[in-house]
Amino acid sequence: MIEITVNGEARRVEAPARTHLADVLREHCGLTGTHLGCEQGVCGACTVMVNGVPTRSCLLYAHEAAGMEVTTIEGLDEDPVAEALRAAFSKHHALQCGYCTPGMMMTARDIVTRLGAVDEDRIRDELAGNLCRCTGYRGIVRAIAEVAATRPAAAPLPKREVPLTPPPAPLAAPAATASADLPNRLTHSETLALSPDAAWAILSDPARIAACVPGMTLLRHEGEAVEGEFSVILGPFSARFAGAGTLTLDAGSRTGRLRGQGRDGANGAEGEVEWHLTPDGAGTTLQVELGWRLTGPLAQFSRPALLRGMVAALAGDFARNLERAARGEAPAARPGLWSLIRAWFRGLFAR
Amino acid sequence: MKQGVGAPITRKEDDRFLRGRGKYVGDIQLAGMREVAFLRSPVAHGLIRAVRAPQGAMVFTMADLTGVLPIRAPSALPGFRRTDQWPLAQTRVRQVGEPIAMVVAGSRAEAEDILDAITLDIEELPAATDMLAHRAGPPIHEGWPDNVVLQALVDDDISDVQAPIIIRRRLRTARQHMAPLEGRGVVARWDSRLNQLEMHTSSQMVHVTKTGLAECLGLPESAVRIISPDVGGGFGYKGILLQEEVAIGWLARKLGGTPLRWIEDRREGLSAQANCREHHYDITVHADRDGTILALDCEAHVDSGAYSAYPFSACLEAAQIGSILPGPYVVPRYRCKTWSVATNKPPILPYRGVARTGVCYALETTLDAVARAAGISPVELRLRNLPGPEQMPYLNVTKKIFDSGDYPEALRRAAEAVDAPGFAARQKAAREEGRLIGQGFAVFCEQGAHGTSVYHGWGIPFVPGAEPCQARLTPDGGLELRVGVHSHGQGMETTLAQVAHEILGVPVDRVQLIHGDTALTPYSTGTWGSRCAVMAGGAVAEACMELRRRLIPMGAHLLQDKDAVFADGAVRAGAASVTVAEIARTFHRAPQNLTEAMQAQGLECTVGHKTVRDTGTFSYACHAVEAEVDAATGHVTLTRYVIVEDGGVLLNPLIADGQVLGGTAQGIGTALFEEMPYDTGGQPLASTLADYMLPGASDVPDIEILHMETPSPISRFGQKGIGESGAIGPPAAIVNAINDAIAHLGREVTDLPATPERVLAALA
Amino acid sequence: MKPAAFEHTAPAELNDALKLLAQPGAKPLSGGQSLSPMMNLRLVRPTTLVDIKRLPGLRGVMATAEHIRFGAATTHAEIEDGIVPDPTNGLMPHVAHGIAYRAVRNRGTLGGSLAHADPAADWPSVMAALGATIITSTSRRIPAEGFILAPFTTALTPGEIILAVEVPRLPPGARWGYCKINRKIGEFAKAIGIAIETPRRLLAGAVEGPPVLLEKLDDIPTRLPHLDAAAQRLAGIAVQRAIAMMES
Repeated sequence: MIEITVNGEARRVEAPARTHLADVLREHCGLTGTHLGCEQGVCGACTVMVNGVPTRSCLLYAHEAAGMEVTTIEGLDEDPVAEALRAAFSKHHALQCGYCTPGMMMTARDIVTRLGAVDEDRIRDELAGNLCRCTGYRGIVRAIAEVAATRPAAAPLPKREVPLTPPPAPLAAPAATASADLPNRLTHSETLALSPDAAWAILSDPARIAACVPGMTLLRHEGEAVEGEFSVILGPFSARFAGAGTLTLDAGSRTGRLRGQGRDGANGAEGEVEWHLTPDGAGTTLQVELGWRLTGPLAQFSRPALLRGMVAALAGDFARNLERAARGEAPAARPGLWSLIRAWFRGLFAR
Repeated sequence: MKQGVGAPITRKEDDRFLRGRGKYVGDIQLAGMREVAFLRSPVAHGLIRAVRAPQGAMVFTMADLTGVLPIRAPSALPGFRRTDQWPLAQTRVRQVGEPIAMVVAGSRAEAEDILDAITLDIEELPAATDMLAHRAGPPIHEGWPDNVVLQALVDDDISDVQAPIIIRRRLRTARQHMAPLEGRGVVARWDSRLNQLEMHTSSQMVHVTKTGLAECLGLPESAVRIISPDVGGGFGYKGILLQEEVAIGWLARKLGGTPLRWIEDRREGLSAQANCREHHYDITVHADRDGTILALDCEAHVDSGAYSAYPFSACLEAAQIGSILPGPYVVPRYRCKTWSVATNKPPILPYRGVARTGVCYALETTLDAVARAAGISPVELRLRNLPGPEQMPYLNVTKKIFDSGDYPEALRRAAEAVDAPGFAARQKAAREEGRLIGQGFAVFCEQGAHGTSVYHGWGIPFVPGAEPCQARLTPDGGLELRVGVHSHGQGMETTLAQVAHEILGVPVDRVQLIHGDTALTPYSTGTWGSRCAVMAGGAVAEACMELRRRLIPMGAHLLQDKDAVFADGAVRAGAASVTVAEIARTFHRAPQNLTEAMQAQGLECTVGHKTVRDTGTFSYACHAVEAEVDAATGHVTLTRYVIVEDGGVLLNPLIADGQVLGGTAQGIGTALFEEMPYDTGGQPLASTLADYMLPGASDVPDIEILHMETPSPISRFGQKGIGESGAIGPPAAIVNAINDAIAHLGREVTDLPATPERVLAALA
Repeated sequence: MKPAAFEHTAPAELNDALKLLAQPGAKPLSGGQSLSPMMNLRLVRPTTLVDIKRLPGLRGVMATAEHIRFGAATTHAEIEDGIVPDPTNGLMPHVAHGIAYRAVRNRGTLGGSLAHADPAADWPSVMAALGATIITSTSRRIPAEGFILAPFTTALTPGEIILAVEVPRLPPGARWGYCKINRKIGEFAKAIGIAIETPRRLLAGAVEGPPVLLEKLDDIPTRLPHLDAAAQRLAGIAVQRAIAMMES
């Protein structure tokens, strides 16, 4: 049970902790003027006032909002600023389907009251977090400008333009496209203070290879067939999933290749790591090439560059652990990247 | 203030939306309502081996849905290959997000907990994801030799054309998502009193949904009622019968009274539901030395996705390409071959502008290349090839009848507005400062409100006939209008009231528009194809005219003057008059004062409307853009945007502008931002609005609109359909501006959207 | 989508919060503007959220002659509006204004952004460029440069949270330049460049990894070897533009 003040009225609401404020307003308080457009904080349709400032009600869990004062679109019926905005919105045809309108009104009211008389560029900038798919924004911008012009201007934001710099030389040819098989690929190289033979001794022993991959446990190894578990945590994400694969080793070229796939529930991942050793002076260059392919929500959470960054760090960890192993040291047990990936996969694959 | 046709009055519907009192599907609360969620395929192509549900959970698969038929949207065009889209997958899934199982719980969160607990065993198969590479197969549908849904040919052998200028381009438009702010949603229950399925759903076309749903569920149409309340944007996305609607309809009937709700969330919408716009063009323009078009030759592909969506079918888009590629121009010779290709992606749906956006992009960017080859300006080239006003009505090479207008004048006005003649000097000066600026134009026309004669040839599940309106005068003198179209942003509660006011003089605020309910409105194909201003507007006018014809003798009888006439909302005889309200009150509450025949005739009628010729109105426009390209980052900034639009007589100029502005913002999205990428395994790579980027307020310039108003000779007031117009021109005009900015480097952008990466690749 | 079930706790004292955070599955919640979207997508599933944003010590500022110490729960909007003092001659308010959207800035916090460790975010790069120090619940003082080890991965140990961030004062009149390359307001940055005049600092921030301090522009290929040529080039443009802004 939480207590929350909504449009001036103290409400007691019984909602599970995972309920966000928008659902509390819509499902528990019957205030359906607050709309949900994405539940990812991008579209702005769910914007309400919390303690007087615009807030995404999809990104505030109800229990966080306990004790706070919330004003929804329904609470602006008698508000004089909203009244002026309503007239201006209608006059300038600043709404069509009406779905973004409540959130738009909240932001508009904030612009008018916080900034006062401002130019249209600033209004467009401030409106960037409220998407409208119908109007093309012109009417909205004009309506807000009209109401804002009746109010004193707040101190303007110091305008700092980024000056133009001359275009640099043309780009190098784009990197080769990923193979259709494993569309994401990444290479990482590391110089090891080890002779190629010493490094290969480690990199041809399945148990020691597995030990260098933080979070990996080798369960079974027969011929080229391997089975294992892979657990990772990356910041907020964590996961664990089991899979099977093939380990091939070529002592002649000092090349090893581990390919595996794991599935759990509706989701799957497929990956390959290939390592190759070449002499480099007294030491050895270790080249690690990773390829991966994901299916399911993780694949569809599109931050490809970010994912590349994470995998690059994984490859680095792997290479550093190899070096430690070769020196007879235990692999670093840092709860870093591997633990992040463990967390991520746990959510997706562990059912 | 004038309220009738042409008055820019503010909208009647605004107040409820501005106060958060609109009522959308997700706002409906019914006692005892349960939440539905769908288990969806994580892979683009696969065979379901097992679905294991947790103990005690309410989980349904297709095996449970006895008696339910798949959604089928065939076309009668020769060679069309039919698909069966089951409401829940049987054994094979063909797109990520395809529904596999339906679960029911007390809340959405709990329903998703059950989804988490289901074990799905699925064997992944190779996915067809590229319409060119996978056209020949391997086929994704059993029994097909390849992945061609339909191949069509506009066959004119143009091999004899001798042209000094031959320009060929290969161009691609991105797969997009329509992304209305409100997604789809369903609230349904079985009404045991009426023995009827009552389904609230966010739809543009309730009657078509009802027909399709009744067929899939094996119910008579009388046992289905579809209600579409306030709808948060359509754009084509809500003109489709959903698998979810069929599955929930079945379950609601089975449960016999428990209300069910499913509200599509953004991730479902982006990753699982219908897409649009993915075309590939291999286009060649043959032109004379002076830029006169001699022939147009094209091979075009449309990625139709996995299934033929109801009712427009998987072939509409490609068939449209074949018929409209020549655009607004005089094209003497024309050949076009099109393929609709099935892939392991969501079905393609007609999005605002349908194929016109892609076609306009392909033709207009290629024409700019022709202009560069001919050494004339893009404006000059277009002026040489547009039909003149003296040629109207103009029958073009694909037998389209352009009804009226002065196309060259629209271009001239746009060119003047952006000072086209002076631009070269400004561009040169900018280049000397190291800045790349360009100017681009696009001219296009939009066929709207086309009807029976156009659609019956395609043999798709529906063919529009006469558009109906039911009009009823109430005892207090109010007017109720019932229409089968749906208003979801277009402002029809206002514009159709204006039409009624024009005919009957009833004040706009006394006119109530009832729409979006199959139980209350006459059968119609609904809202699509820029048809409502023309078709529903015409229907309202005809119905009100019928009432007027009945009111006049009643008024004359009451005034005791057989020569009485109708004017300004009253029947008048000299100085004496009786208002519409007075006649209505008399008819309903004092019928004894009228004749028996008048009493029998009544003040309620349903009338159907067709335009004089049902080949459609042709609005047209010129978009003129100035853009600056940041050569270092590839970013494009739109610095000027002017539209000259001829939508015929505008029912309400304020609302017409709104349609053009909103469409243009969507077109800017197509041009610069929006892309639904898939990896080679068919995984959609944009599942949030942080990945699928819609244009925001700071991404859209302050668009200027200049109007021409050439009446259409075929519509009731001379109005033309313009609802989709804005979304057609921007990609062509914007990319032409980009290409103009970098033309001195000999580079061009070919693929949409023109992201920084693509612009940099063009410059590299 | 709706998040997986979790418990919400809002302890009144830091020690109570730290005890709760030591439990498996616990996760600190500050402004929640990055965490909640991931939870709403069920990509992240903590069993307990420990709400730390109102803990004593995480709010407020403390100024000395050399630096200003910001409570970790200071919001972006408070920095944008100058409600908290600015030791950076306008750099921090400028950056704050460019973070996401106003409604997000009203709740998102400085400490939360750093702990979330998304390399595309603004504060990890800015704090590294300013030579700020991150003060944690174990009384560790961690230089902002090097705080982020990899995307979403920081030098914090499990259960350790950020209490405050100590930002050195820039000398009066010291100029700066900031360039974030993204297509749209609110979009994740593709590259970040920062230039500070005194003490002279150059920084390249990029989405694929931690921000990196540079001696000069030409260091990018060697200091950011994990980026491909196009990303390195973009990072170079961001730094170049930051320098140009500083010098303008």
